[in-house]
Amino acid sequence: MNRSITTWGLAALLLAIPAMSLQAAEKPLKVVATVSSLGELVKAVGAEHVDVHVIVPPRLNPHYVQPKPSDVLKVKRADLFVYTGLHLELWLGPLMDAVGEPDVMPGGQKALDMSQGIQILEVPHEATTRAEGEMYMHGNPHYWLDPRNAKILGKAIVEKLREFHPEHEAAFQTNLDRFLAQLDQKITEWQVQVAPYKGRELVAYHNEWPYFTQFTGFAMREFLEPKPGIPPTPRQLHFIEGYIQENRIPAIVKAGHEPKEAAHEVAKRTSVPMVVLCHTVGELPECSDYFKMFDHNITQLTGVLAQGAQQ
Amino acid sequence: MKSLCLTVFLCLLAAPYALAEAESDELKALRSQVDQLTGAVRELTATVQAQQQRLDALEIEKQSASAKVDAQPTAPAVSAIPAKSRSTGTSLSALNPEIGVNADFVGQLSESSQDGEGNDKLSAREVELVFGHPIDPYSRLDVTVAFSDFEEVELEEAFITHWGLPADLRARVGRMRPKIGKASVLHRDQLDTVDEPLVVDRYLGEEGLFRTGADVSAFLPVPWEAVTHELTAGILEGGVGEGATLFGTSRRRPTLYTHLKNFWDPTDETSAELGLTYLTGSSDADASFEVHAVGVDATVKHFVTPSNPLKWQSEIFIQDRDETTNALNHPWGAYSLLDYRLNQQWAVGGRLDYVEPTDLFAASQARDADTAFGGYLTFYQSEWARWRMQYRHTDFAAGGDDDSFFVQGTVSIGVHKHALQ
Repeated sequence: MNRSITTWGLAALLLAIPAMSLQAAEKPLKVVATVSSLGELVKAVGAEHVDVHVIVPPRLNPHYVQPKPSDVLKVKRADLFVYTGLHLELWLGPLMDAVGEPDVMPGGQKALDMSQGIQILEVPHEATTRAEGEMYMHGNPHYWLDPRNAKILGKAIVEKLREFHPEHEAAFQTNLDRFLAQLDQKITEWQVQVAPYKGRELVAYHNEWPYFTQFTGFAMREFLEPKPGIPPTPRQLHFIEGYIQENRIPAIVKAGHEPKEAAHEVAKRTSVPMVVLCHTVGELPECSDYFKMFDHNITQLTGVLAQGAQQ
Repeated sequence: MKSLCLTVFLCLLAAPYALAEAESDELKALRSQVDQLTGAVRELTATVQAQQQRLDALEIEKQSASAKVDAQPTAPAVSAIPAKSRSTGTSLSALNPEIGVNADFVGQLSESSQDGEGNDKLSAREVELVFGHPIDPYSRLDVTVAFSDFEEVELEEAFITHWGLPADLRARVGRMRPKIGKASVLHRDQLDTVDEPLVVDRYLGEEGLFRTGADVSAFLPVPWEAVTHELTAGILEGGVGEGATLFGTSRRRPTLYTHLKNFWDPTDETSAELGLTYLTGSSDADASFEVHAVGVDATVKHFVTPSNPLKWQSEIFIQDRDETTNALNHPWGAYSLLDYRLNQQWAVGGRLDYVEPTDLFAASQARDADTAFGGYLTFYQSEWARWRMQYRHTDFAAGGDDDSFFVQGTVSIGVHKHALQ
């Protein structure tokens, strides 16, 4: 009796081991992305094969968040850590110190710096200091705001996911192709929408839009912040008011996470509308995915510009 | 003679004609040259005009081309900047440690008639020089040296953090701030107030507790993800910070401590942290571990709007002292702090303190405890500079009271890097 129980037990164990290993193989890759837009792109490519956690809530300024203990643990246990690079995440160093996992640190096997391969804008040609405000020593890091960059980002994600799950390479590629096909279609639509307004100049709260203006053809030269990351001063707001009136600026652009008071005040004084855009996915309810983010941003801007043209 | 005169006369008559004839040839030649030069100038002028027209045409062409570029944005291309050089740098400067300086300037007015540290003054209270860099793939060194205009230079921190240990343990060795409670772990430039909470000041030290020792920490491997638990245990040299009374001054009697940090996010806008601390040490050089203390810290942070976080932070420490000379064998102290960010630049808050003394006889006490209340207003000039005004009223257990007014300026340059809270 005992022998038969042992035999059956061993048989069950032998059957269970492959089943368990199969189940383990099917577990999605744990991916931690610092910002939601990068997380969305990983989801689009990885689909059911990835489980994505985003550190920065889209409603907060990505430069200055304080990662939580739960973020530390998630990065520690992550199969892949995806980050913007270019010093967007000013908190990356303390996070890495808390995580203490060399593989997810920049340059590590489980780390993916998404800025690699992107044509970076506004790379300073000379050494800068904080006298110039928030330093983008390696260039402006908001590169996901040109939808054409998503092609480069998507390919980088496929390359990296393939290292972990080579058996799903075809699925990743198919997902990417599907995403890019939709993206191409949307890019054409968006370009048609913005075509009548190319060259129109706007004023923004913070200089996070160079990639967006590269795509749309809008221009942004002056900002409510006197220097990047430095809160608006009365003198700067006074200058901006004059600039808006002198140059017939049609709208003031502000990202959803930025304080509204200064932009609202300037809008009131100049009678120029304030437009709230999404600088990352999920920043406003209307920007629930990568495509909807551009839909929202372009619709909002072209709507205001069309109204201005009628007047 | 006559013939000579006639000849001279004829010559004189003929000379003007001969000269005129010669002059006429020269003039012709000159005119011819002038004509040639005029022609050359005309040709050159025509050439210059043609070149100018060409230049103008090119300029117009260039302007229209750049206008087209503006109107029809180019698709981004793959960067020619090598990935590694752009992101991490390849020069030897990458091996230099991260260096930062945090400066804390304080002006204080108080009613106290004592003349010494802590009373009326305007001071560079502390200038921290902070260095840090990975040693190798497994460890990192962090050093903080503090300068002050009325205190000696002090090695505040110098510790090695070691990663990659078995069971995902993380170890620290050296002089450091142990993970005891919440406020004591923070550097002055991270505090919401000018001064430490009274319970930290009285029990652990004017600037919190930092001692030489070793600790290990790990996230507990629990099956749920909603709550994160981090357990830390350590051993420190004996003694406490400046002016504190929890333990004695002897460094040879060690202090043992353990801290459990529990963290969760009830909602997207709210996070909560509950910490439990136990520490035991000695009040003198003769015995070990006759003083025990338990601490509980609670912090809740709620984003009313993305620009308006509200934070409530409280701590309590309860002691168990085996001393007959003191009236209180179980003194305790606590504080509660509320901080609200009004907007990007302004924050207000207040703090209540209650601390029972460990070094006073009951007969000499006018009150059960030191108590204090106060409020502050903080102006954030930028992410790296802030200014603060604070008022504090204190009633002392030994009798008397004090009203203090503080003005504080805190700035950071270089790599401003503190451990995550």
